[in-house]
Amino acid sequence: MISNILLTVALLCGINGLLALFLIIAERFFLNYGPCTITVNESKTVRVPGGSSLLSTLNNEKIFLPSACGGRGTCGTCKCRITQGAGPLLPTEMPLLTQKEIADQIRLACQVKVKRDLSIRIPEALFSIKEFKAQVTLIKDLTYDIKLIRFKILGDDEILFKPGQYVQLQSVSYDDVKESVSRAYSIASSSDEKKSIDLMIRLVPEGICTTWVHQYLSEGDEVRFTGPMGDFCLCEGTGEIIMVAGGSGMAPIVSFLRYLIQTKSKRKVTYFFGAVTKKDLFYLDEMKRFEKEMVDFTFIPALSQPEPDDQWDGETGLITVPMKKYIQQIDTETCQAYLCGSPGMIKACVQILNENGVTSDRIFYDPFA
Amino acid sequence: MKQTPGEQQLEIRFRPGQITKSGFMGDDTRHIHDIIEADGKVLERFGLKKADIADRLTLFMDEGKKELEGKVDLGEYVVQVHWARGLMPCPFGEPGLHPKVVVHVFSKASRQEIRYSQLSVHMIRKHGFWGGKGSVFRLEPIDVIRLLKMGGNGE
Amino acid sequence: MEYLSPITIFFAAIFTSNILLTYFLGMCSFLSVSKQIKTAFGLGLAVTFVLTITSALNYIIYYTLLQPFGIEYLRYIVFIVLVAAVVQLLEMFIQRFSEVLYINLGIFLPLITVNCAILGVSLFMIIREYTFLQSVFFGAGSGLGWLLVIVAMAGIRERLNEQKIPPALRGAGIVLIISGIMAMGFVGFSGIVQIQ
Repeated sequence: MISNILLTVALLCGINGLLALFLIIAERFFLNYGPCTITVNESKTVRVPGGSSLLSTLNNEKIFLPSACGGRGTCGTCKCRITQGAGPLLPTEMPLLTQKEIADQIRLACQVKVKRDLSIRIPEALFSIKEFKAQVTLIKDLTYDIKLIRFKILGDDEILFKPGQYVQLQSVSYDDVKESVSRAYSIASSSDEKKSIDLMIRLVPEGICTTWVHQYLSEGDEVRFTGPMGDFCLCEGTGEIIMVAGGSGMAPIVSFLRYLIQTKSKRKVTYFFGAVTKKDLFYLDEMKRFEKEMVDFTFIPALSQPEPDDQWDGETGLITVPMKKYIQQIDTETCQAYLCGSPGMIKACVQILNENGVTSDRIFYDPFA
Repeated sequence: MKQTPGEQQLEIRFRPGQITKSGFMGDDTRHIHDIIEADGKVLERFGLKKADIADRLTLFMDEGKKELEGKVDLGEYVVQVHWARGLMPCPFGEPGLHPKVVVHVFSKASRQEIRYSQLSVHMIRKHGFWGGKGSVFRLEPIDVIRLLKMGGNGE
Repeated sequence: MEYLSPITIFFAAIFTSNILLTYFLGMCSFLSVSKQIKTAFGLGLAVTFVLTITSALNYIIYYTLLQPFGIEYLRYIVFIVLVAAVVQLLEMFIQRFSEVLYINLGIFLPLITVNCAILGVSLFMIIREYTFLQSVFFGAGSGLGWLLVIVAMAGIRERLNEQKIPPALRGAGIVLIISGIMAMGFVGFSGIVQIQ
């Protein structure tokens, strides 16, 4: 009886062990792609281990393609042109690519696996994107739902950015959230400052990254972010500048203003800030300071629905109301407009500007996505 | 139970920290399809279609967006919309992204409020999914129908 | 029982005793992966490959290990473990050489392991006391039979896409009705040759 049991167990173990061994050898043989070479823009080549997705492989090589969904193949922001070695188009990419993109050899970097030598083309600007390690040195409440966070860059790294650009902040796992996500926030600090950046972050209901920033992040914590990215920037010109932004949309505008102060610009600037009640207003002291420091700067806040307690004597109504009043008095032939806010706000502002002779090629806005 | 690859992916995306902080399931342990079916039955009882509800919710959302972040008085209802930066995918996994818009609809008559996102409207219209019980953006079909005074008596 | 030549068994397994349509084994993936001819063909080939290999390997193990030691009752476990190993190997192979097929097959590739047709064939060959050659041909034939039916079904379903089907019958409903009719068609072959 005992010998029978032992025999059975021995036989089963033997068979299973042999099969396992066999599979391990097979895996070594089949799923080892060896080192592959990726040629970027026909100039730079990197040698990488094969087997993982192009997006994460490039990330490891410190080439950061933008990605909003974290490589799940749902957002389509990591599109890049692969001229050689991408293999056949995958069913997971199909829904996010147009016929023209397919013809242009555009692929999703998060879905394509590096299996052989690849040749890819990406915008040159992506090379200047770096990953930074930073320490939180300040967390300040701007309003009940917007915080100003200051990050000091650790090590010898320096960030070189144009005012209006953004960084992607990486959250770490907390509470129920197991994975890290990265979200874009515009830089509010001066582009002169290369060792630290300020972000203005508004709490989004159910937002993974903003909840982390608002409730879990504290001063002294170490974080990572990548950047700078984005092409919302100040353009050359001599005419007047109209700026419109509410809430955390103020961040790139503040960066613009600081740049204008720094370069001792003589341009006339008017900034319209839209809010609902007085508790949504912030940075008023800084705005006063800017008004003093700049040659010709006016800050015009407007409350759409001030509470009786607010004792508000400034502009009331939607942000478009003071804009309409003001724009009548200026030379709209040369002025430029910079907007940052929700698509609803942008649409309303662009309409007012267009009606008053500011053509769309002189209106710049942050796409908010 | 055997599951198709799509189904497997589906469940992952509904979990906390994947698309939203606390996920779409709340403390609901039912299968996604069972939730959809149960909520669908409520609509059926009132002779309503998913699109009827979604159209009405969209109407309120569009009215609210006009006032940017302020409150809009529509007579019987007060609507307020908050629009945050960024886009999010639908957990059901079809391509396309949805803006992060949250709508509050307050009924003066019943003094009740419902809260939903642009993504919830999409999920109701396209998938009949109202959120798992206990999830943050769960809409109770019966509450919505009563608040918006849609359909007949039901019973 | 009279001796059947391996060739006879091979063709019988494809047509007269089709594993899918006369025994209704392997229905699960048959219903789910028969939407496109290309994927159906890929899965069919994979199943054929696994069937042929496992019937040979299982035959060897059964008659050299299990029977001599008198532990035939372990055959269910041993067979399924072996099937699982072969499927794993196949999975690596497909992942390496056809990413598209790998994604299209998705979970159904590892699920070949629990495809009842595979274990069914291994058990049938023991019950019917086939020789080694007969077993291998039986395995290959059954696989090809399965491939034939799933590709035929995928062909029909591709055409069904453009047809108006009553809402209640869409999806699995109409597929089950079609497979019933196909099964009746295959029964028509059964007069030619009989294997148990």
